Amino acid sequence: MGSGILDIANTSLIFWEIVTIAILLFLLWRYVYPPIRDQIRQRQQSIEQAIDEAEKTRTEARELLEEYRQQINEAREEARQIRDEAKKEGEQQRERAKKEAREESDRIVQRAREEIQRERDSTLREVRQEVAGMVIQASEQILGRSIDHDEHERLISEALDELETEVAGAGDGR
Amino acid sequence: MMNTLAQGLTQEELQKEILHTWSEAKETWVIHIELFGIDLSINKIIWFLWIGAAVTFLILFIGSRALKNRPGAYQVIVEELYGFGRRNLAGQMGEEGLRWLPYTLSLFVFLLVLNIIGLFPGSYPVTSNITFTMVLASFTLIIYITVGIKRNGVGTYFKNFVPEGMPFKIVMVPFMFFIEALQEFVTRPLTLAVRLYANILAGHIIIFLFLGFILYLGTFAALVSVPLTIVFYAFEIFVAIIQAYIFAILTQIYIELAIYADEQH
Repeated sequence: MGSGILDIANTSLIFWEIVTIAILLFLLWRYVYPPIRDQIRQRQQSIEQAIDEAEKTRTEARELLEEYRQQINEAREEARQIRDEAKKEGEQQRERAKKEAREESDRIVQRAREEIQRERDSTLREVRQEVAGMVIQASEQILGRSIDHDEHERLISEALDELETEVAGAGDGR
Repeated sequence: MMNTLAQGLTQEELQKEILHTWSEAKETWVIHIELFGIDLSINKIIWFLWIGAAVTFLILFIGSRALKNRPGAYQVIVEELYGFGRRNLAGQMGEEGLRWLPYTLSLFVFLLVLNIIGLFPGSYPVTSNITFTMVLASFTLIIYITVGIKRNGVGTYFKNFVPEGMPFKIVMVPFMFFIEALQEFVTRPLTLAVRLYANILAGHIIIFLFLGFILYLGTFAALVSVPLTIVFYAFEIFVAIIQAYIFAILTQIYIELAIYADEQH
């Protein structure tokens, strides 16, 4: 066809096309694709490696965090125990001190009371002897003769006892 | 001035003007070579074939040499081209198809470059030559027949033309065989060749036709022609890409169909 738009069986084009494409394919296949393929593969590998490493680091970090958390918990628990123990000990100490103080004071009071009792008894005894002596003396003077000393003393002692209980009874009734 | 221009062109002359790219290519930049009575002359078609091949090689070669671990823009383009081939061209049906990726990817880039170069004014769109596309389609045909026979054996290869369990075996088996053989050996390569050729040729003719209005109707026609031409030019870039891709992926798919022919039926 003269217009050249249906250019069938163009022998020179067929020949040169086959030659050109053969050369082009050979050159591409020999010099171009291997480096591109290697590069892509290499990058893929390095990316995979990086991802693996990141994963590993993350796992490690998580483990560490877990460990630290556990340690903190343990420390906190320990602190609590120590505090509790100290508190308990302090409480015990205070209790003991209090108890000892009370016992001590009781003891002192007791001793004082006993002392007072003893003092009173001896005083009372002395007073009684004095009174009995005076009464006997007075009676001897009034009667003008001596009287049975022992008998008198017994009577006076009885009277005094009676008086004492009476006084005590009146004192209680107050 | 306008009228003289308009009147100065007959329809014949206008047709010549529109088709000059194709009609004059064989007589431009010629180096006469003849071997055993066969014309092997180098002309504008061959020159642009070589320019396309050289540009294809250079684009990919420079891309493959400038490889770094932290890629720049150019490297990304080349790598994306390769990655695009891996994802969208080869291995659609199985890993074994990837072995043909170098071929189909080269084909894609080569056709793309030729299509784009053909858009430059004054160039020759090699892909709008039916001989060129026919030869490429023949390559595809030869490859998939070879692969199919090598992979499945001659007997299985032809047996796969006819699906199993056909009714009316006496009539249907030869009929199906004929249909399948026609598709395998004629329709596929023919459509492959004509699709690329016709798309590129038609696009270029439309552009020349719009510009031809200016010659035929007068300069005022440029008000309409030029915007339309620009729109079509943009569309032609799209066609250049899509047709290159279609040719490459169909080649790949035909090859993979041949590889996995046995597993479909």
